[in-house]
Amino acid sequence: MDEQQAVIRINDLTFTYPGAEEPALRNVSLSIDKGDFVAIIGGNGSAKSTLCKTMNGLIPHFYTGDYAGEVTIAGLRTGEHSVSELSRHVGYVYQDFENQLVRPTVLDDASFVPLNYGMRDYKERGMQALAMVGLDASPREFIWQLSGGQKHLLALAGAVSLGPDILIVDEPIAQLDPCHAREIYELLQRFNEQHGMTIIVIEHHTEFVADYCKHVVLMAGGRLVWKKPVHEALNQVGELLRHDVFPPQVTQAAHRMHGSHGKLPVTLEEAELYFSPVEGKAPAAGDVLAVPELIRRDQPVVTAEAASFSYKTVERGKKPVLREVTLSFYPGEQVALVGNNGAGKSSLLRLITGVTKPESGSVHVKGIDTLRTSPESLADLVTYIYQNPEDMFIEDSIRKDVEFFLKARKVENYQEKVDRILASFNLTGLQERDGRLLSGGQQRRASLAIGVAMDPSIILLDEPTASLDIATRKDIVSMLTEVRRHVDTVIIATHDMQLVAEWASRIIVMHEGQVIHDGTRESVFGDPYLLAQAGLTAPQIVELSRRMGMQPLCYTVEEFAARCRAGQEEGVAVNGAGAQAIG
Amino acid sequence: MEQVRKLLDKISVEQIKIELLNTAYGNADTLLARLDPRTLFIWYLFFGIAPWFIHQEPVLLGMFVFMVITTVMSRISPLIIAILCMGLLSQAGYMLVASWFFGGNWDTIMPLAVLTLKLSVISLASVTAFCAMDPEKLSDGLLKIGAPAKVSFGIAYGYRMLPNLLDEYHHIFLSFRLRGKAPEKHGILYWRSVIYFVKIAVLSFYPLLLSMAKRARTTVEALETKGFSYAGYDAEVRRIKLAHLRMQGRDYLFLAISALYVVLLFSLT
Repeated sequence: MDEQQAVIRINDLTFTYPGAEEPALRNVSLSIDKGDFVAIIGGNGSAKSTLCKTMNGLIPHFYTGDYAGEVTIAGLRTGEHSVSELSRHVGYVYQDFENQLVRPTVLDDASFVPLNYGMRDYKERGMQALAMVGLDASPREFIWQLSGGQKHLLALAGAVSLGPDILIVDEPIAQLDPCHAREIYELLQRFNEQHGMTIIVIEHHTEFVADYCKHVVLMAGGRLVWKKPVHEALNQVGELLRHDVFPPQVTQAAHRMHGSHGKLPVTLEEAELYFSPVEGKAPAAGDVLAVPELIRRDQPVVTAEAASFSYKTVERGKKPVLREVTLSFYPGEQVALVGNNGAGKSSLLRLITGVTKPESGSVHVKGIDTLRTSPESLADLVTYIYQNPEDMFIEDSIRKDVEFFLKARKVENYQEKVDRILASFNLTGLQERDGRLLSGGQQRRASLAIGVAMDPSIILLDEPTASLDIATRKDIVSMLTEVRRHVDTVIIATHDMQLVAEWASRIIVMHEGQVIHDGTRESVFGDPYLLAQAGLTAPQIVELSRRMGMQPLCYTVEEFAARCRAGQEEGVAVNGAGAQAIG
Repeated sequence: MEQVRKLLDKISVEQIKIELLNTAYGNADTLLARLDPRTLFIWYLFFGIAPWFIHQEPVLLGMFVFMVITTVMSRISPLIIAILCMGLLSQAGYMLVASWFFGGNWDTIMPLAVLTLKLSVISLASVTAFCAMDPEKLSDGLLKIGAPAKVSFGIAYGYRMLPNLLDEYHHIFLSFRLRGKAPEKHGILYWRSVIYFVKIAVLSFYPLLLSMAKRARTTVEALETKGFSYAGYDAEVRRIKLAHLRMQGRDYLFLAISALYVVLLFSLT
């Protein structure tokens, strides 16, 4: 019985990539039942993707390294069957899914797999797959006209076009805004429940793991630490943190207050029952707000006056992305630009750098009209850090990249300055390496160092925390504080609402190319209608404190725990039943 | 000065990308685009090669007129026409000017003018044929006449990647601009600025190659999982894929009219 149910069976697998000294996977044994929904978690570089690549035969057929052990997928031993045969049973969506779309149009790509397997009805199958993922684009549309979210759905359609038993998705929501992220997980859940697919995701966002997954596999340093049911897994707060995984915020809060006694909540709904309403009534602790107040006495550093911008499309039309945006940014501000994919955040940042010019209206940086100035001269004032750090590596070593700006301007003694910056960003040991070959976290650090070396007064960052594990993310957030010391104003475009809640002194909400709100975290996260309109979701802990009626809202786990504890110390009885209320 | 700046704004990387894509995919609704790729192959085989062996000027002139008509019919992007004209002028035109300068007379200039005419016919024929076929059609056509599946896939894939390549290139180019230093004075005829831009335009290729190589790894793996190498395009897959190609009435009509026109040209001279 048990034998039949396991759709994936991995037995004592050890694998070393060709040319590598250390094995990437060590003695991994794992069995996954049919119909399961499994999350694989672990820090950056814990071999999560490598493990998944053993499941469709890419290892050992495509990557022929040292291979010991056995993997059986849907009754087929991967060693004895080709990748193509195994791929009929396993769909795979990559983290950089854009590169797995190989055909020019939507339907072509969705029906490419059935065509390769010689199925006469390949077009119907393609259409079916498109309907399954609910892609709202014409089947004849060209790939490069699709938005990021649509491309991801198309990659999913290609992966499910043969109706596989198993679907593996590597970081499904890394580049999505919170609302689109939820849609993707709803879709995966439908595949799981209605089509009986076994779903495996590699995921850093444990909030989603708690809401949708059934089992969790923890990986560390190429070893499988354990596989547990989701509730039990996310309750191992200490162990998860040791392995660079953040448990959901509500679980962290409960852990802070009550330790590991009893079952900790892992979802918002459970947390509502767990924390008694009494705890929420606690008064606000004195100065929990570490965020500086708005300072607007000075002259603005950046002003946009009715600035509009549109892209040219291939059909020789125009697609407006910014509509008459009027904004000013002041010294000392830490601004977060938020809004769903395509709201115009990146376009606004690019206008400030001067690489694109407003179509109408104007943008001034420290009084200089960007329309009349080259990006090279604006670079003395403004630094733009790309969303994809690789786009910033124009030299063949980190050191050369950091010194590029200084050298071009013939700054005296720039070597010393570069040494200092490399040290403060923890890059001294990596300075001779090519940026493209570093890990995701190291690349982010390097891109920040490049920016700071330019000594700007305004620094613009596009999605600085996308797809990082907690160790790296913490690193970057503290770097942001470091960056703040060097510059007047920091502007970040981001989907990371935790970052927004913890860091921003001013939040600008954008929607369809317009600014629909300009305020603070209180005014943004306290307004459910605004969040819904802009397609945003408040961080879990903020939402929990809102549901519990706490005034003002809590923005960090620490603050939440501190206020609850303060409530207890004031003699309000904690509802002791709370800890047993779930389960 | 203002004019120069406006002109420079027009020839942005973005604009080039749009023109290229338009040339490749944007003309699906023209009369020529509805023809079967094999028709266009045959047509191009004649008009691309025959001019080399024809020496009667009136015939060449007549063919040139025909090519201009087909070029207009296939709505080719102005950028391509401009590049074509520049190419022709510099290739043959300068010989013409040179021979005039160095004491040549009508006898030396005439053959050069004929050569230019031949080149024009061939170039316009190529432009017409390849704009009438989008890359998909071209690759299907090649597959149909027996080209290896990998060649045919490569053409379609190359075009699918083109916008990505250009975007990536654009990003890197901007990275250079966002960190570099442009010359403070433009110099006579903007020579300093021109050199600066040409330099970063060339330098941008190096990071581009590396990052594209990195992306290609996913693509190669994905092709494996999509069963592309498994299919190896055996006869059955080839048949299913190409079932939509059919020679129709308009194909034969188009070939017949072209042939008739050429015969007419010869009989008139």
